[in-house]
Amino acid sequence: MNRRELLQALAAAGLSHLALPVRAQAQATDAGGNPLAIPPASPKARVIVVGGGMAGTTFCKYMRMWGDAVDVTLVERFASFRSPILSNELLVGRRTSANLTFGYTALRERYGVRVITSAVTEVDPVAATVRLKDGRVLSGDRVVLATGIEFDPMPGLTDANAMPHAWQGGAQAVLLKNQMAAMPANGTMVLTIPKTPYRCPPGPYERACTIADWMKVRKPRAKLIVLDANPDFVAHRDNFSNAFFGLHSQVIEYHTGVDVTFADVAQRTLHTSTGQIQGDVINLIRRQRAPAIVRRAGLATATERRFAPVDVLSYASTVAPRVHVIGDSSATTQPKAGHIANQEAKVCADALARIFGGGQPDPQPVTNSACYSTITATQAAWLTAVFQYDPVSRTMVPAPDSSAASVGWDSEHFEEMEEWFDALMADSFA
Amino acid sequence: MPRHPRPHGLLLALALSAPLSPLAQTAASPPGQLLASNCFQCHGTNGRGPGFERLAGESADEIYGELLEMRAEGARERGRDIMVRHALGYTDAQLRQLAQWLSQQPR
Repeated sequence: MNRRELLQALAAAGLSHLALPVRAQAQATDAGGNPLAIPPASPKARVIVVGGGMAGTTFCKYMRMWGDAVDVTLVERFASFRSPILSNELLVGRRTSANLTFGYTALRERYGVRVITSAVTEVDPVAATVRLKDGRVLSGDRVVLATGIEFDPMPGLTDANAMPHAWQGGAQAVLLKNQMAAMPANGTMVLTIPKTPYRCPPGPYERACTIADWMKVRKPRAKLIVLDANPDFVAHRDNFSNAFFGLHSQVIEYHTGVDVTFADVAQRTLHTSTGQIQGDVINLIRRQRAPAIVRRAGLATATERRFAPVDVLSYASTVAPRVHVIGDSSATTQPKAGHIANQEAKVCADALARIFGGGQPDPQPVTNSACYSTITATQAAWLTAVFQYDPVSRTMVPAPDSSAASVGWDSEHFEEMEEWFDALMADSFA
Repeated sequence: MPRHPRPHGLLLALALSAPLSPLAQTAASPPGQLLASNCFQCHGTNGRGPGFERLAGESADEIYGELLEMRAEGARERGRDIMVRHALGYTDAQLRQLAQWLSQQPR
């Protein structure tokens, strides 16, 4: 049945609205001319996607758009996505949970993705199957894991909410916001930065600047103590060191090379490699790794067995070629961050579209990263990098001239940040 | 971004006169599509917004020419504009290819 026949059949069945373009003719069909808004009647391939964050949703959308009759199922624990991007704005009251929440309606209704709200308990990397919490087993030609991060356990941390990481948006971000609001005006807040690689390299420094700026107004005699497990600023060195040691030097106290070894919840105290420290509020951003389902499947063999190595031409696991790992769970030379996870997802979707059509992945993929960091309530800085595939090392290598940061920060970049966020979320969720 | 206004006129009209029908793109992965998708995070899916300037349906020469200008500016100094640095990450051939693909998209 060709597209016109299908449209006629749908019209006859009173279902023509299902095939109507939502925005424009160009988005109404997949690459094979099949209606985009409904799952393919006779799929040529099936993909099971685990995780509905930046990487997972972008993959689903582009796999449907660029594939030819590819059936795509997304399995995600939560009914909606609570963005960690811009969640530092939530901490200081400039954004709300509502305007950082994104749903899966467009994936379902515009792109014909089957969305299942459930936890995944097990991935079989050889059979390419996924077991859900209710016992159901889904199987596909390929499984795509867009599973993000989880946190190392911390000895002594009996209640994770006592010292929230607030690093995945959602409830913990709201919790930290409330803890900050309740702290005394001359209080002490401690923010810890884990060893690399962690999600969003500039994020903790941005958070420190954002909170310091907020404290000047709301908690005028408070201190923010930043304990960095790394030897130096991980990203944006010029801008963040200027902000830490200049603009915000009255508020921020910065210590490098500090490892947290134990959390004493009752005493609100951290034991560290350089001594003990107490805080009225403790934002404990713990060390990160791929979630248990990735590690239990034997896929996380890189970076001290924390993350999953992949072939960056297709994001196929180097351990299990029918499983692809995109975004923060993968071990690549690229940063763990939402903007570039979106692009990794497109490379993976394009590679699978080609593979399902009997071809090979693009031999020269390019990915990019861009992000904005707030330094004050009205000013931001930016970072960007473009990554080119290097066939010799088989890795994504930053194009040297493109790796750059803004010179300082200003209100124009802050406004661009808002536009960037809206565009990025629309490309990923709408 | 207002710093890079896009002229409209004859070039644009010529570009629009022969758009490649999306229905004709039956083969997966038309040339330039994956490359151009690097633009979508900020310029919208298929370059059609929401976000910074819409790129879909602009003339390939205009897009390419502007990217070259950005690259020249980015090479001279650490520009204030994120795009002048970003444009330095792509080869000439890549810029031509992504501009060509974007020019063929419906506005």
